[in-house]
Amino acid sequence: MKKTVALFSTIVLASSLLLSACSKGNDSNSSSGPAASASGSASAGTDPAGQSGLTETIQASNLSKLPATAKNRNDTIIVGLTDPSGAFIPYFTQSGYDGNVNSLLFTTLVTVDDKGVPAPGLAESWEVSSDNLTYTYHLHKDLKFSDGSPLTADDVAFTWTILHDKAYDGDSQISTLNIKGGKAYKEGKAASIEGIKVIDPQTISATLEKPNATALVMLGAEVLSKAYYGKDYKFGQLDYIKKLGTAPVGNGPYKLEKFIPGQEVRFVANENFFKGAPKTPHFIYKTSQGDTWQFLETGEMDFASFSATQENIDKLKGLGFVNILPYTPSTYGYLQVNLEHEALKDKRVRQALTYGLDRQSIYVDANQGAGAVANIPSSPISWSYTEEGINPYKFDTEKAKQLLDEAGWKEGSGGIREKDGKKLSIHYLGSKSKNTDIFIAIAKENYKELGVEFQPEVFADFNALVSKVEGGDYDLVSFSTPLLTDPSDGLLQFVDGEIKGYDNPKFKELYDKGLATSDIEERKKIYQEIYQLLNDELPVIFTSYKKTVYAYNGRIQDLSVSPFNGIAPSLPNWSLK
Amino acid sequence: MSTYLAKRLVYMVIILFAASLLIFCLYALTPGDFISGNIKLTPERKAELREIYGLNKPVLERYAVWMKNAFHGDLGFSLSQQKPVLTLFNQYIWNSFLLAVVSTFFTWLIAVIIGVIAAYKQYSWFDTLVMVAIFAAMSLPSFFIGLFLIKILAVDWKWLPPGGMLTTGSNATGLAYVKEVVHHMTLPVIVMTLLGVGSLTRYFRSNMIDVIKQDYIRTARAKGMKERKVLFTHALRNALLPAITLVGFELPALFGGSLIIEQIFNWPGIGQLYMQSFSLRDYPLLMGFTMLIAVLTVIGTLISDILYRVADPRVRL
Repeated sequence: MKKTVALFSTIVLASSLLLSACSKGNDSNSSSGPAASASGSASAGTDPAGQSGLTETIQASNLSKLPATAKNRNDTIIVGLTDPSGAFIPYFTQSGYDGNVNSLLFTTLVTVDDKGVPAPGLAESWEVSSDNLTYTYHLHKDLKFSDGSPLTADDVAFTWTILHDKAYDGDSQISTLNIKGGKAYKEGKAASIEGIKVIDPQTISATLEKPNATALVMLGAEVLSKAYYGKDYKFGQLDYIKKLGTAPVGNGPYKLEKFIPGQEVRFVANENFFKGAPKTPHFIYKTSQGDTWQFLETGEMDFASFSATQENIDKLKGLGFVNILPYTPSTYGYLQVNLEHEALKDKRVRQALTYGLDRQSIYVDANQGAGAVANIPSSPISWSYTEEGINPYKFDTEKAKQLLDEAGWKEGSGGIREKDGKKLSIHYLGSKSKNTDIFIAIAKENYKELGVEFQPEVFADFNALVSKVEGGDYDLVSFSTPLLTDPSDGLLQFVDGEIKGYDNPKFKELYDKGLATSDIEERKKIYQEIYQLLNDELPVIFTSYKKTVYAYNGRIQDLSVSPFNGIAPSLPNWSLK
Repeated sequence: MSTYLAKRLVYMVIILFAASLLIFCLYALTPGDFISGNIKLTPERKAELREIYGLNKPVLERYAVWMKNAFHGDLGFSLSQQKPVLTLFNQYIWNSFLLAVVSTFFTWLIAVIIGVIAAYKQYSWFDTLVMVAIFAAMSLPSFFIGLFLIKILAVDWKWLPPGGMLTTGSNATGLAYVKEVVHHMTLPVIVMTLLGVGSLTRYFRSNMIDVIKQDYIRTARAKGMKERKVLFTHALRNALLPAITLVGFELPALFGGSLIIEQIFNWPGIGQLYMQSFSLRDYPLLMGFTMLIAVLTVIGTLISDILYRVADPRVRL
C-alpha cells in the first residue's frame, strides 16, 4: 500500500513537471542543430550520492530488462505529452502542449544553442545594422514546405504581417517589438507593414523603431506558408486559420500523420526537411495525463520526465533499461512581494524576510535534491548567469533580526514585531502542492523566530490565486516563470507593470541598455549589473531552480534535451540501436 | 397523460433556462478568467485579449450572446482547444460513454444477481461474506484500487495494458480494433464496476427482502411454483420497481465521464477535458458541457417517471 501511495504522489509530481517543462510558448524556438550531445559516459557508480543529485547522464545498466514491447519497436519512438489539443499552428496555439507538437512540425529561422546564444536555422546567416534597428535574414536556398512547395522570404513577410492583425489572439510578442509601420497596420491605416522588406526570395529584413536585442530570435521564429495559411486572409479576419489547425503544412523534421484526440499524435518523417529526413521514420506523442511511470515500465513509452528526487532516481536506476539525463529547465521561482504594502516597501524588510527564510531546507533538502536556491532572475544554464557580486542570502536569523530592528520594527506583545502600532504580518498565497506544504511548514517556523506573523492561504485553482493577487490582497505569493530564452525575458515582469510598485529608474535604464545591443559580451556585463542590483533590492524574493531528470529507453542514441527548446533540436538525430 | 407530459415539458424548459443562467453566472463570477492564468502575457496584452474575446463585457450581455448562439445550435468555440465545442464533444464523449455503458451493465447485472441471492439467503455465510466484500470495495478510494490493479495486472504480470484506449501506434481496423479496445477497457471497467456494485447490491438486497416477505410470494410458493421462478419473476420484478428512479440518474452519468478513472487509466474521455477546461476557465466548453449534463438530467427524470407508469399500472400520471 505504501508503495502505491508513493507511486501516486510521484505521478502527481511528474505530471506537474511535464506541465512546467512543456509550458513553452509558440514564440520560443525549435532549433535544428544540437550543439552538444548529452549522452555522456558517466556510469551509475560515479554519481555523487549527495543532495545535489545527478550531474551527468547515467547509462542503462541492463538493457536486457527492456520490455518486449519496446524491444520490438524498430522504426518508432514514443514520448509522452500531457495533453495536445489538436490545433497545430504556431503562434495561434493556445496550449503549450500544442507548442511541443508545433516544434516538430515547424522549424525556425534562428534557433538558440544550449546557452541561449542564437544559432542558424532556416536562415543560414543574418545581419544586424549598426544602429541595431534593422535585422536582415538570409534564408537557405531551395527550402521547401512539407507539401513540397517552396519557402521564400514572402512566407516570412506574411507570417510577420498576420501577427500584427487586430484579430490576432495568440501569445506571440512580435507586435510588441514595434516594427516600423506595425501599429499603423494593426489600426487598419496601412495595407502593409512599412518596416518589413522582401529584398529577394532568400532575403528579408525588418526595421524596428527602437533597438531590441530579443528581436533577432523573436522574429527568427516559425514560418507559415503564405500559399496555404494566407489563401483566405483578409485584414481583421483570422478565424479561417484556426480551421487549418488539424491539417498543418509545416517545414519541420516531421509531418503530421494522424491526430487521435486524447490519445496520440502520430508523426512521419518529412523528406522535405532542410536537413534531410530524420533518422527514425515514425514518432508518436502519446497523450498521458501524468501517469508516465507505468508506461515507461511496460515499454509503451520511450521517454519521460520526473522530478529529480533521490527516490525517483533510485527507482529509475532500478529499472535498469533506461538512461537517466539530468536537466535544469530555464526558469526561476520567486516569491512576489506586495510592494504596495507599507512594510514591504522597505528594502531592509524584504532582505530580512530573505535572510530569515531557510531556502536550502525548503527547496533543496526537503525536495530530496530536486532543486537549487536562486538569488537572481536567471537560470544557471543561461549565458548571462553569474554569481559574481551576488549576495547568497544564506539563512541567518540574527542578520534578519538586526535588519528588522534597523527598519524600526520592534518586538511587541506576543513576540510579534510592531511599528507605529501595526503588527508585522505576512499573508502568503500558494498553489496547492506538496512543495507549498513544505514551504508553509518551514516558513512558519522561520518567521515566528523573527517575530513575524505568517498567515498562509492555499489555492487549489491557479486562476483563483492569480485574481487574488491582481486584487492586491496578499503580501507574498509563490510563482515560477515560464521558460525563458533571452535574459531579458526573466526581467520583463519588472518593467511591464506585472510587479506593481517597483519603479527604479536605474533598473529601467539598464534594462533598455541590455536590449540596445546584440553583442553578447557587452550584454553579459549589463546583465551582471542588473542582477547585482535586483539581488540587492529584492523587488521579489528569489527562491529556487527546479531540477528534473529525463529517463529514456537505453536503445535511443544521440539524444539530448535543449534547455530552451526541449527535444525538438536533437530529435531528427535520434535513432534506435 | 398527454396534459401531464405537456406540463412537464414546460417545466423542463423553465428549469433549463434558470439553470443556464445560474451556471453561466457561477462560471463568470469564479475568480480569474481564461486570460489571467497565462503568465506569459503582459498586462497590456491581457487587456487586448479580453477585448477580443469579449470578456470585459457585463455578465448578462455575455449570457445573452451565448444563449442566442446556443439557440442556433452553436455552442461556441473552445478557447483552449481551438475547436468548436460540439466537435470536441463528439471526439471525447463517446469514449466516456463506452466505458460507462459497459461498466453500468456489469454493475447492474452483478448487483441484481448477488442482491437476490443474498436476500434469499439472508444472514447465511454467503450473505455475510458478500456484505463484507461489498463494504470493502465501497470504501476503497478509486485512485488506490486503480493504481493497485495497474501495478499488479499491467506492470508486474503484464496481462493487461496499463492505460489508454489503443496500443500506441497501432493501425488495427475492424475486429482487431474492437479486440484491442476491449483489451484496454477491461481494467477501467473492472474498477468502475467494483466501485459501483456495492451500493446497488445493498439496494437490491433490501428491496428484495421486503418483497419476499409479501403475501403474494407466499401464495406463489403455496401454489407449488419453482423457487427460481418465484424469485426471479414474481419477486424480482417488484423489487426492481424502486430502481427505476435510479435509471433517471444513470443517464447523465453515462455521458458525464469519470474524472479519476479517466485520469488513472489515461482514457480519452470527456471528464478529463472538462476538468482541464475548468482550471483554464474555458467558458464555452464549460458552459456547453454543464448544459448538456443539465439537459440529460432533466430528460432522465422524465424518462424514469414515464417508466414508472409503464412498469407499474398502479401509478397514474
